[in-house]
Amino acid sequence: MAHIPEPPAPTGRRRALVLFVNTVVALIGGGLAAVLGAFTFGSRASASQVRWSRAGTTSDLKPDEPVARVLSVSRVDGWYRARARETVFLVWDGDKTIRAMSATCTHLGCQVQWQSKEKKFRCPCHGGVYAADGTVLEGPPPRPLQTIEARLESDSSVLVRL
Amino acid sequence: MKRLFEWLHARTGYRGAVHVMLDEPLPPGTGWFFTLGSVLLALLAIQLLTGAFLTLYYAATPDHAYDSVRFINSLGAGRIVRGLHHYGASFIIIALVAHMLRVIAFGSYKPPREVTWLSGLVLLALILAFSLTGYLLPWDQRAYWATVVTINISKLTPGAGEIVAGILRGGSTIGALTLTRWYGTHVIFLPAALVLLIVAHLFLMRRHGISGPVRQRDGSPTAFFPSQAARDTTMVLIVIIVLAACAWRGAPPLEGPADPTDATYIPRPEWYFLGLFQLLKYFPGKWEVVGAMIVPGLVAAFLALLPWLDRGPARSPLQRRAIMSLVLVGFIGVATLTSLGWRDKPSSGGSRDSWTLREIGGRVYAQKLNCTKCHAETGLADPLEGGSSTRGPEWIAGHIVDPEMIAPGMREPPATIHEREAAAVAAYARRAARDPYPGYPPNIELIAPVWARYCVGCHKIEGDGGTDGPDLTHEGTKHDAATLRRWIEDPEQVDPDADMPAFGDRLSGEQLDAIAQYLASRK
Repeated sequence: MAHIPEPPAPTGRRRALVLFVNTVVALIGGGLAAVLGAFTFGSRASASQVRWSRAGTTSDLKPDEPVARVLSVSRVDGWYRARARETVFLVWDGDKTIRAMSATCTHLGCQVQWQSKEKKFRCPCHGGVYAADGTVLEGPPPRPLQTIEARLESDSSVLVRL
Repeated sequence: MKRLFEWLHARTGYRGAVHVMLDEPLPPGTGWFFTLGSVLLALLAIQLLTGAFLTLYYAATPDHAYDSVRFINSLGAGRIVRGLHHYGASFIIIALVAHMLRVIAFGSYKPPREVTWLSGLVLLALILAFSLTGYLLPWDQRAYWATVVTINISKLTPGAGEIVAGILRGGSTIGALTLTRWYGTHVIFLPAALVLLIVAHLFLMRRHGISGPVRQRDGSPTAFFPSQAARDTTMVLIVIIVLAACAWRGAPPLEGPADPTDATYIPRPEWYFLGLFQLLKYFPGKWEVVGAMIVPGLVAAFLALLPWLDRGPARSPLQRRAIMSLVLVGFIGVATLTSLGWRDKPSSGGSRDSWTLREIGGRVYAQKLNCTKCHAETGLADPLEGGSSTRGPEWIAGHIVDPEMIAPGMREPPATIHEREAAAVAAYARRAARDPYPGYPPNIELIAPVWARYCVGCHKIEGDGGTDGPDLTHEGTKHDAATLRRWIEDPEQVDPDADMPAFGDRLSGEQLDAIAQYLASRK
């Protein structure tokens, strides 16, 4: 290998060239980092999709009594479409109003069960107890059961937004 | 800050490495011609980076590859990243050819740099292998059919055709095993080999120093940094700006999902293989091996042997007229073949804008057969229209006919469905996944299911249908509506020797009128 010359004393031209090279390298690197960063973090927005799903008709329900319905919902997970089974409790007032609650305990995510004699929801895992409207009565759950948007169609079928 | 670097240098000696990298001595007169290697290096780095990031979302299975690439396109930055990767491949080919022509013109492969030259040729082969394997990954029609051609060409390998094709295919057909195999090659084996060879190529370049201008100039060597580095940076910047401008618009859109049963698709390779593609057309039949293997093999051998064919100390192209004219003829030949291949586009290749009668009929059947009960905004399954389903034709056909095909118990068994109705629904499902329904007048929606159920088995309109009966695309030029109606109702009434069955008892008067009028209007 030939002799490596010592770097000459910094001159104005040399300083300008160094600045130019460093700036361009930083710009290209920054641009790439921005695009690739947006690419990496941009997928979160499209990870889920909420839409109305059919959850039976009022003939399946009893007035003022939470009824569990297991729904199969299509979940969009990026490019993948998966089916998830979700349990929701439907509460119908016997007329025009329907409410829906998630069956997932707000404590650690177990599935709560309706105790029709006590008129309470009980969580089998850590003893959480909820009232019929989903508010916490006892135990560790930090929040009431999550409510889910629900509506009653004119043909008495029930739609929930999952 | 300064003390931190001092400390780092004392512990690692990193300034020595920086010194070795940046203060490479260059012969006097080294200039803009010697920036092409850096451009290639920058483009390859971008390709490695974007490729690595694309693997975050890509799924290499026939069921999901197309969906995952479509998902990448749906991300704002994804379109750009894919665009960079797609156009970057073309830019690399251009930069590589320019770099190679510069080396040839300057006689830079002459002793002691023969091995540097050979390592460059292996890099060229690797890069072509990259583009070949990468082309399959989106798993759209273009990808699938180009790979069918590639694998069929590999069968021409003398003596070992089936073995080579089998290795490339992985399985007995082009499918899941081919895709994972090409993917692994594209993202693991080839990049590893590429990085090793680039290191070797650069090591050799540094070992012998760069060749410099063809006539030695007076003066002492200058360091690479910052003067030559600034030239390299300028060129890299220009190329990357152009590449970014191409990528900004995103990679070209995907075609339909790979469909091995589609006999009408005309495959075309990426533009830098169009020369080879064109060459094959001049060697039909048993001579094909000449175009596919022998001519490219001779070109490769010529390039590999260049340092030994072109002996003598002279480096100026003007003193190496024989070699230079050979290379020039070769280059013009490749360029001519490429542009001929470019121009030789199939005339009717593009996608049809209007829906076929079968597809429109399929839509009517889909509604009649309760498909839309589940495939609705509020249903169990995704709506049929709006570009969600990318299932293959076999799957769709099975799903329509067999109620237990997916998720037993989740859907009601459809009423018995005639095979032509099922075919029409399948055609509709595939079309609806790509294009929204444009809407057709009621008379078309009235006759389309009739056409798709009864006529399409024997007759063709605009290329879709059977061939037992005459093509009806321009039927209106031959008969008027009244004759057609009588004919369809009972052909023997018009011509006692007619082969066509009578439809008078199967179609309503309204349907007979509508289809006769429709056919009469086709001029």
